[in-house]
Amino acid sequence: MPETESSPPASAPRFEPREGWVPADERRFGLDRRTLRPTLVVFALVVVMSLVLPVINATVPYHDIVRAGDVMQIEGDVTFVPEAGWGITSGVRAGHAPLSGSYPATATVEDGAVKFTLRTGSFHGDADTLLGQIETTSDALNTGRGVRVTGAPTTIVTGAGQQGATVRVTGPHTIGVIAAFVYGSRGVEAVATGPTDADSEPSAAVLRMISSISHSGKDKQ
Amino acid sequence: MTTTLTDLDRARDVALDLSGWGRRFVFYQPRNFAFWGYLALVGIGVLTFLSTLAREYNAYGEAIGLAVTSFAFYAALFWWFTDRIDHYAKLPHNLMVVAFLWGGFAATGVMAANANDAILALYAKSFGQVWALNWGAGLAAPFNEELAKGSGLLLLIALAQRHIRTAFDGFILGAFIGLGFQIVEDITYAMTSAGTQFGANQIGASVGTIILRMVSGVAAHILYSAIFCAGVVYLVGRPAEPRRIGRGLLLIVIPMLLHGTWDSLGAIAGPDALTLIGLLIGTIVVALIIVARVYRLTVTRERDFVRDVMAPEQARDVISPVELDAMAGNRKARKAYRKAGRNRPERRRARYILNAAYALADELAAARGADTDQVRFARSEVARIRAGIPSPW
Repeated sequence: MPETESSPPASAPRFEPREGWVPADERRFGLDRRTLRPTLVVFALVVVMSLVLPVINATVPYHDIVRAGDVMQIEGDVTFVPEAGWGITSGVRAGHAPLSGSYPATATVEDGAVKFTLRTGSFHGDADTLLGQIETTSDALNTGRGVRVTGAPTTIVTGAGQQGATVRVTGPHTIGVIAAFVYGSRGVEAVATGPTDADSEPSAAVLRMISSISHSGKDKQ
Repeated sequence: MTTTLTDLDRARDVALDLSGWGRRFVFYQPRNFAFWGYLALVGIGVLTFLSTLAREYNAYGEAIGLAVTSFAFYAALFWWFTDRIDHYAKLPHNLMVVAFLWGGFAATGVMAANANDAILALYAKSFGQVWALNWGAGLAAPFNEELAKGSGLLLLIALAQRHIRTAFDGFILGAFIGLGFQIVEDITYAMTSAGTQFGANQIGASVGTIILRMVSGVAAHILYSAIFCAGVVYLVGRPAEPRRIGRGLLLIVIPMLLHGTWDSLGAIAGPDALTLIGLLIGTIVVALIIVARVYRLTVTRERDFVRDVMAPEQARDVISPVELDAMAGNRKARKAYRKAGRNRPERRRARYILNAAYALADELAAARGADTDQVRFARSEVARIRAGIPSPW
């Protein structure tokens, strides 16, 4: 049990220097010397994460080249035949699903500055409606600054007989084509873009890849 | 050995100095280099996030509205919970806001997002697309995201040298950093989901993601960062927390392992949905057990501070020894104290006394142990409630 005789606590708080005060012997260039090291450590981490890693990534080329006979597959049993010699920058070949068993929703192959992307998602409507939806979303995202549709939609038919809708697109530095197909409740969008100095017509390779799009799932029409 | 009141008062002063409890935190510190670093990085992060939001809002406005509203409620719930578990030597609320903003804007858009994209692409280039899809996320995000979030604590320590003194302070601020990260990441995920049906049926496309993120978020970034940041404090050492390098490193590695496991569950489970659900639940349970242990490990020092600050009050008969034990004890101790009442009014009064005693502790901390008007008033409130006198206010 403590003794009770003692002086009471002081009636005013003990003095403490204000928060921003820095001892004279801890100042460097007007700053608190003790705060330099942790801040520089964080800056170094930021530089590594936001500059060094992206630069390293940009300098490393893709080595995954399409071989004749390769077939790419995306979610929902949608496949296409990429052009031999193009590089696979996203997506996987048919029969090589990830361990989860689910194929990704997107696949991209590239040849120089020309890029072909196929993506899929749930959609209710026909190919024309899907193309309209893609155009609406694209316009909303780009707000007139990016790629925009030029010309009227036309009909396109894949090698497997699936009818779709296609339209030309142009942007400040790119031209290309968008094709839309709907298999039951599954929409498929193919986008091919290249630099404006390329031929304004879609290349034969792009048309072959669009034509090769097929679907083997239960939603097949 | 006899302990005098002077000794107890001195021990209280030492505890208040060591803990930093009750000190006001001022964010604006132009002489602090960390202030400028924080301002620049969070500022860039805010601009990045807002520009993304503004761009995507035209296309996915409905989904963004739903996500922001849902996650605002979710954040409020976790904020309340995290603030509630910090009921010993409390941290200032504006410091919690500073931690939240770091996690939400600097750690995400400025740091982790860039590094994740680059490393995932490098994995795909080096080991193939399939390998990257299987293991890329699990071997990129734990390093990038935990380091991005945890590094914020280094800046916070430099900004609040007099406040962040214990591993428990790191634990609490880490939870707020993680909360900020999680909310912004969840909103970004919801935006991505909104586009998965070509911009049509945005609500339907994103609501599943929102629910999944809310459920899985129980044992995700908030928990990882709380453990990680407790580890950072042990690693660097603080005035009230001696450096313990081994423990610090262990607490830094554990959330990385948990995070990596979580992100790799799809690959580990394979195509079987039941296995995946079992592993999801198992991982959440393990994570919750670990975070509970880290909480118990780190909170001890804070409870000691409460005991040191309130011991003179017990010696002056403001509170009883049982109340001091309850205040400096865990939830069970407080519950046992409340339940000891013979009837409902007594039990209710015990709860009020405890709350008033905690308020007195906060006033004592704010007064640095001095006998100010606020302290005397808080002391009189404990006596009033004990006597069952209604409040005149």
